[in-house]
Amino acid sequence: MFRRRVFFQRIGVVLPVLAAAALLVYAVVPWLPLSRKARPPRTIVLYGFSILADSLNHGVFPEFQNEWRTKTGETVELVSSFAGSGTVTNQILMGVPAEIALLSLELDALKLAAAGVVPKDSWKTFPHAGVVNRTPFVILVRRGNPLHIRDFSDLASPGVRVVHPDPLTSGGANWAIVAEYGAGFRRPGGGPRGGYDMLLGVWRNVVAQAASARAARTQFENGFGDALVTYEQEALFDRYRGTLNSDIVYPRSTIYSEHTLVRIDRNIPGRDRDLVDAFVQFLWSDRAQAAFSKYGFRSVDEGRNSRLARIEDGFTISDFGGWSRAKKEIVDGVWKGRVLKELGK
Amino acid sequence: MSAALPVETRRRRERTAFAPVSILVLILLPLLLMPLGAVFVFALRGGLPAFWRAVRAPEAQFALRFSLLIAFLTAGINAVLGTFAAYVLSKYRFRGERTLGIVVNLPVAIPTVVVGTSLLLLWGPIGLLGKLITPLGIQPMFRPAGVLLAHLFVTFPYMLGTVKPLLDELETTYEEAAYTIGAGRWTTFRLVLLPALRGGLVTGALLTFAHSLGEFGATVMVSGNLRLRTQTAPLYIFAQFEAGDIAQANAIAAVLAALSFLIFFFLFRYTARTKKAA
Amino acid sequence: MSIVLEELTKVYAGRRVVDRVSLEVGEGELFVLLGSSGSGKSTVLRLIAGLSRADGGTVTLFGRDVTNLPPQARGVGFVFQNYSIFRHMTVARNIEFGLRLRGVSRSERRKKSGELLELIGLGGLGGRYASQLSGGQQQRVALARALAYEPRVLLLDEPFGALDAKIRLQLRRTLREIQQALHVTTILVTHDQDEAFELADRIGVVDRGRLLEVGTGEELYSRPQSFFVATFLGAGVVLHGRCEEGQARFGRVTLPIPADLPHEEGGPVRVLIRPEQLVLDPSPGTEPEGTPTLGTGTVIEEIFAGSSKRVRVRIPEQAGLRQIFPVAPFGETGILVDAVLGADRAIPDEVSVLLKGWRVLAQPEPRVLSLGEAPETAIAAAKLARSIKAVLTVLGIAKDSDRVERTRSEIRSRLGEDASGVELRVRAGDRTEQVLSEVSESFYDLVVADGGGDERRRAPGERALLQRSKTPILFARGGERPLRSLLICTAVGEPGRNDVRFGGWLAARLRARVLLLHVAVGGQEPAAWVHAHLDRGVRTLQALGVDGARKVLPARTPLEGILAETRSGAHDLVVIGRHAGRARSVRGRDDVTFQVLRSADRSVLVVPADA
Repeated sequence: MFRRRVFFQRIGVVLPVLAAAALLVYAVVPWLPLSRKARPPRTIVLYGFSILADSLNHGVFPEFQNEWRTKTGETVELVSSFAGSGTVTNQILMGVPAEIALLSLELDALKLAAAGVVPKDSWKTFPHAGVVNRTPFVILVRRGNPLHIRDFSDLASPGVRVVHPDPLTSGGANWAIVAEYGAGFRRPGGGPRGGYDMLLGVWRNVVAQAASARAARTQFENGFGDALVTYEQEALFDRYRGTLNSDIVYPRSTIYSEHTLVRIDRNIPGRDRDLVDAFVQFLWSDRAQAAFSKYGFRSVDEGRNSRLARIEDGFTISDFGGWSRAKKEIVDGVWKGRVLKELGK
Repeated sequence: MSAALPVETRRRRERTAFAPVSILVLILLPLLLMPLGAVFVFALRGGLPAFWRAVRAPEAQFALRFSLLIAFLTAGINAVLGTFAAYVLSKYRFRGERTLGIVVNLPVAIPTVVVGTSLLLLWGPIGLLGKLITPLGIQPMFRPAGVLLAHLFVTFPYMLGTVKPLLDELETTYEEAAYTIGAGRWTTFRLVLLPALRGGLVTGALLTFAHSLGEFGATVMVSGNLRLRTQTAPLYIFAQFEAGDIAQANAIAAVLAALSFLIFFFLFRYTARTKKAA
Repeated sequence: MSIVLEELTKVYAGRRVVDRVSLEVGEGELFVLLGSSGSGKSTVLRLIAGLSRADGGTVTLFGRDVTNLPPQARGVGFVFQNYSIFRHMTVARNIEFGLRLRGVSRSERRKKSGELLELIGLGGLGGRYASQLSGGQQQRVALARALAYEPRVLLLDEPFGALDAKIRLQLRRTLREIQQALHVTTILVTHDQDEAFELADRIGVVDRGRLLEVGTGEELYSRPQSFFVATFLGAGVVLHGRCEEGQARFGRVTLPIPADLPHEEGGPVRVLIRPEQLVLDPSPGTEPEGTPTLGTGTVIEEIFAGSSKRVRVRIPEQAGLRQIFPVAPFGETGILVDAVLGADRAIPDEVSVLLKGWRVLAQPEPRVLSLGEAPETAIAAAKLARSIKAVLTVLGIAKDSDRVERTRSEIRSRLGEDASGVELRVRAGDRTEQVLSEVSESFYDLVVADGGGDERRRAPGERALLQRSKTPILFARGGERPLRSLLICTAVGEPGRNDVRFGGWLAARLRARVLLLHVAVGGQEPAAWVHAHLDRGVRTLQALGVDGARKVLPARTPLEGILAETRSGAHDLVVIGRHAGRARSVRGRDDVTFQVLRSADRSVLVVPADA
């Protein structure tokens, strides 16, 4: 009896200690200099906005590593971090060691330029003015489209509950607003009045504003609302993985969101410059663009997008004078200044 | 000890406890238990192989190991620092003692995001001190060291909170008894004081460990959130969530939750045992 | 000698908590330091053990100066009041701790702890933890732990303080047995005199950091020297009188002063009378010859105490006799004494109180109380106290208890450099009441009060004091003039004796001249008894060692004479008597004492006839 109690007491002490030791070994092993190579590999540090994570990690990075290895024999590492575009921008402002950043809005690049992190318009010197890929804004609806939504204008119909990311915090939401405004504007007889009416109509039906495009998506997937305005890429990627359980509706007119690359020279050590430049150039290569396509993005080269649904009247932010004007006139001027006031939100 | 209690009273106690206990369980169910259960349900919804794949992903492995490493380091370093702080605050009387007592407990009251921000504003590349040391090639932020700093800051009060009450309770004569018998200061600390503090040390270290494992707010600010470099498990979960890999996020969340359960299970058993021994 | 302390001193926050303690303890002796809490006795023990650092003096253990050694190197065993048994170790491991540190082998340790466990009566309990032991058992373990490595000195700090009375008795016996068996030199600190009497080979009584007296229990009980020891150990009353012609005079009683206790003529004398030294004679007036009689008193209380009974007797007020311990209830003017009688003895209401024995105490240092609100009064009192080698107490009265600290610091800054060695007392409340309470609760030889201004402006406290006090009051006036010449006025009606005695004593201490003055009112030649009285006065002064002269001065009124002499003779202090029993009439404006007080431009000392 006594001996058994002692045994159990021992077990009660030994087991946790063993467990802790095992955990410690598990945690420490990768940091031990056991199989340390002669020299650590060179690295590229890339910060990107969230939806790029998979296409880069699993698509573009391995392609580049292979190509670089066959070309030079050197193995390089790509270190990445993904968060909302605004977050990435702020992180860079705070000094994270990003060498390359991929932002969902040129607006964020402008912010970096304003803070002196990168020279103004430095990204314009890259191919396609620094745009690495794009994706149009589409409408996601419930399977079988029970509310028969065909276009942005249908989102304004009474009774449609729209889930929308919040333009104050989400880059995607800014794109969506310009998409909605542009669709109204470009409608025959639209013009500024049409744009305003479209925004007003859609936003009258917005029932939830999520902090990010991603969060809006999650809300919608959890069964909230009837329609979601979001990137085509997200839906395509889900379809590719077989997890899409809603239908994609292509509006007649919509915007292509264009994703801008900036290179933060001050974070790049001189000896890595060639490597970083090679990677930057690689992003517009066929192999990289094909990888993006695989993950649902549209290539900057329209010829590669033939397998994807045709957008009848696609437009870009330059049609509205670039982001600095669009932000001021459409997002702040029309949406914030008039639509929200009108709706009393 | 409880065996000495007459069966009659015990049974009655059980019966009267039924109503309040069931109310409590009803409250706790949606508040705590069900959300935790949901994590496991979702983590395993794709089947065990999918769960295993998710856990085996290199980024996930890195995040878990990194989190554990930081948690071990944090618990170890703060065990020493916290015990020292507790000793000083408990055994010495000095001007500003109260203020110092408040300062060391401050991290409890400060939002962790603020902790992260303040660390960045001090050590970061554009921070007050960071501006001076960055040109020297020293920059703790966005590196494992920065994560460790943040975790040390955030978890500092736990050790203090569990060790200081024990020290307060020990009269100075406890040490003095050892001195007069012939034990030096260090021997006294090792053989007399430390064993008396063991309960507090274990509890404090486990609390520190658990908190460090789950730390998010400060870490997200100072780590730079670099995959395979500075991404802790909670950051990984959040990043996966943001990128849409909810299954992946759930799998790691389930692992973290299981680890925390384990820690608290030991903690609970340990405190129960030491209480019985006392 | 195994423990020798020389001039050991410890200072905390400017106060000497251990004040030049010197002591020698012999080998194998069990010495008890006895004192009330806060007396510094535990600090002495901690200084010996090295747990506190001495600020002065030396500690020598077996010929080795250990004053600057850490506790680890001193080789003393220490037992604390709170046991301080190491909780995470078994009893055996606690006991073996010292041996383990000294690298003693495991088997030897086992053997030793086994022996000690037997010795302390806890055989077989070596595997227990402190939490499984009673307080008494824990203290036994602490004792064994302290003794395990065979220190040559054992120190015990209130070891039984936290235990029940019954356990305490058992443990005392155990301690005594072990101490004798091991012959270890031991110092035990306690506040319990029974414990001290039972255990000690010798006792040292500690008060306010000072080791007052050392001796066996019997010596200290029956032949104490100091007031503190007399009242701290055992029961009894202490009476206050004056030394007259080499004898102690207490009202009607005169007692011889032992040769080994030199007393200054005219100075204060104290005598201790234990309850068992009092005899209650049921038939007053028939006292046997040669037995000193305190007086006739009334039985006011009989308290049954088993085999005996305690009888409290009140003896009415007598001139020259005052009780200073126990402190009489406020307003009580008589003497209250307790006697112990057989329980079966009946006692009438009126008894004569005889003294079967007594103990004259060492002459105390005179005590001066300064009441002055004016800064110069406190300074004058400080100067006076210093020149007569008296202990000065400055009393401050705060309006309420919140201002006590402020008043204290005000007085301290007012005294400036004179503040050192001065006892500060601050009381809160009504001034008159607090002054009277202070004077009746603590004994003072002299009170110094403000003398400035006229009578109407005088603080009511002093006036009430003047009316009721039995303590001489000096009204300070005229700045810092040194007191070189005293004028003692005997012209005030019935010739006083106390004014001459007290004034003479003061003059002796001040080394001042004295002039005895009689004012011949209306120029008449004074009666023969006046001359005889003056002669006696001069003789008294001579006995006190004072240069004294006499003078008869014709004048229209006593006041005129006194004022004239004061001015022409350049006297610094006017000493004047005050009648006993006519306290109420003092207010009368024709009273000479008051007239002098009002008109003189010098300091005036008023000596009550019943002082």
